[in-house]
Amino acid sequence: MRFRAEIRNVHTFTKFTASLATLGHIAWVRLDSKDCRFTVIPESGTQVWSVLTPDVIFDTYTIQSAAPNNTINLEVPLAPLQRALKSAQTAIAANIRLTKKDNVPLLSLTITTTTSNPSGPAPTSTASDGQDGFGTATNNGFGSGTDDFREESVDFFGARQDRETVVTQDVPVRVLAPASVEGLHEPRCREPDVHIVLPNLMQLKGISDRFTKLALETKSSSTKTGFASSSSSSGPKLELSGNMHGCLRLALTTDAMHIHSLWTGLENPELDPSQVAEGEAGLANHPSTKMKARGDSTGQSEEGWATVRVEGRDWGRVLSVGRLGGRVIACFCDEHALILYVFLASEEVGGADSVLTYYISSYSA
Amino acid sequence: MAAIVPMFSAVASSTRHILLLLRCISFAKKALVRISAEGLRFSTDEGSSIEAFVFLDKALFTSYTYHAPEPASSQDDPPEPPFFEIDLQSLLETLNIFSLSDLTSSTRSGGYDDFAAHRLNRHAGMNAFTNHAMGVTGVCNFSYNGEGGALSIHMFESGVTTTCDLTTYEADTVEDIPFNRDSLSVKTIMRAKFLLEAVTELNSVNPASMTVFASPGSASKPNLSLSAIGALGTAAIDFTTATSSETPVLESLYCPTETSASYPFAALKAAQRAMASATKVSLRLDDEGVLSLQFLIELEVGSSDGSGAVAFVDFRIVPLVDDEGAREHGGESTSE
Repeated sequence: MRFRAEIRNVHTFTKFTASLATLGHIAWVRLDSKDCRFTVIPESGTQVWSVLTPDVIFDTYTIQSAAPNNTINLEVPLAPLQRALKSAQTAIAANIRLTKKDNVPLLSLTITTTTSNPSGPAPTSTASDGQDGFGTATNNGFGSGTDDFREESVDFFGARQDRETVVTQDVPVRVLAPASVEGLHEPRCREPDVHIVLPNLMQLKGISDRFTKLALETKSSSTKTGFASSSSSSGPKLELSGNMHGCLRLALTTDAMHIHSLWTGLENPELDPSQVAEGEAGLANHPSTKMKARGDSTGQSEEGWATVRVEGRDWGRVLSVGRLGGRVIACFCDEHALILYVFLASEEVGGADSVLTYYISSYSA
Repeated sequence: MAAIVPMFSAVASSTRHILLLLRCISFAKKALVRISAEGLRFSTDEGSSIEAFVFLDKALFTSYTYHAPEPASSQDDPPEPPFFEIDLQSLLETLNIFSLSDLTSSTRSGGYDDFAAHRLNRHAGMNAFTNHAMGVTGVCNFSYNGEGGALSIHMFESGVTTTCDLTTYEADTVEDIPFNRDSLSVKTIMRAKFLLEAVTELNSVNPASMTVFASPGSASKPNLSLSAIGALGTAAIDFTTATSSETPVLESLYCPTETSASYPFAALKAAQRAMASATKVSLRLDDEGVLSLQFLIELEVGSSDGSGAVAFVDFRIVPLVDDEGAREHGGESTSE
């Protein structure tokens, strides 16, 4: 199997990887001729399933494998990938390819940067990031050699003002057999009751984070050790509700108070009849159509809301995808689950949008 | 809610003043709130040894409406004005959310980083990103419907409406710590920062208590001395009025006879935020040795009446009584 590509937009790829990394440690990456899929399914908490058209992050995308559609399935550790991408922040070029070293499959990033260095020792690349056993860095094509080697290279190139540095970062991966990924599919959910376009995600995240902090700060001091536990189920629960009249509500209840923030005037996208089972008839019976009959656009009525309960910190991490921009549609299955669809516009005119889908289970009251 | 006229409603153009003042007394979890036609009074206490209160005059609000509760029948006396307890931490965090465009969002967790608080508050009005400078409205509505109802705070900003309903708890009537202002043994006024510096300095020996000693002044005795003994050593800061400087540290001093008393150091630490936010402090001891610290806090221009408004935060601390009884004459206190 072969895969190689130029990373077209390092910053986008970095932000994208960062969003994935907040949810879990490893990603299932499925590459084929048509699209690139990154999926994170942590032990507990939100799952993300994303489908990107290659042109969002890659140029000269070459892929070949024995599987149909040239599919390659990989298990990629996200933290090493993030560290590798850090080296590429100021790169003039970055390539990625699937290769093997000492029988270990890896994704190898070759990063070309320029450094201007009037005098002094050879610039050590951000190799310190890659030295934790996961990546190795090589300077100027020499092996990660001894000090002697490095000194020689300094003498040889020391006089130059600007130089190109080539850094290689290796991320070890596992190749997954088709059989092991066959069983993985997106969580199935009933038709949602409410679908609504979320307001600016960074604003929503700002307010959500403050609510979460409020809940944590005002918890009785005897349980302050809650900070130490990383289990997401112990965190404060925020109540998120939407209605079919453009209202979104975020609420928090503690013993000492009840606080909620309300957004109005949001868009409820129309369902496309061709996408709904049973077409027009299905549309008429769709839960969201029934929801439209209830509630109002001021958001004051208690009717017509679909509600889910999310864990404050997990929700904050999900919302960090907001830094990618893009339109986000939230689909509420009352008391059950929340599905967020994040659409990233394609670079090419007429190209398909990329979608990240977040599946969040609701906690019970 | 139906068209009930709320008993109390007020609009504040900026929550920052309120946040600043309430933070000064935030050493306790809960606060007692008293609503009257003149304003809101918030008080906190720790056991019965320290008490603090701040009065938010109605002039600090853009609008202030109070309808006194009606007596049940014309024969009855009018009921007491409403008072209740709320969770002060929740109120502060809520007001914090409402001043989104303000400085640092980090909250203090119990300990008082007095230097940083001092710095923050001194520069509170001078930052280019304050509400006023940006022209962003952080208008806040407060309302209270009557006994059992919640204290509601409502705000609209950047397309989002946020409402917070604070649970009101029944409060036991607590006797204020009595302070005999007509029978003072010491009164002095100084800039608050000197008191803050003195307390910070004393804190470095990790003391359990602080002794205040005052005298009419002489060659051997200072006018005012703040001292402490701790595991790490002893420290004393002496103040005198005998100076040719035009700006003496002790701007005024009244002290007919020598007197001294000691107070738990934790009580002084509880007042550090007030010391950092205030311009001046009036330090008084009454004949029982109760210490009253009254802080004058200048709220920067921009309050509703246009002029620089001020507010007062008061602390009252009960003296420690050692085995020998309250001391009449000076000298450093021995450790308890």
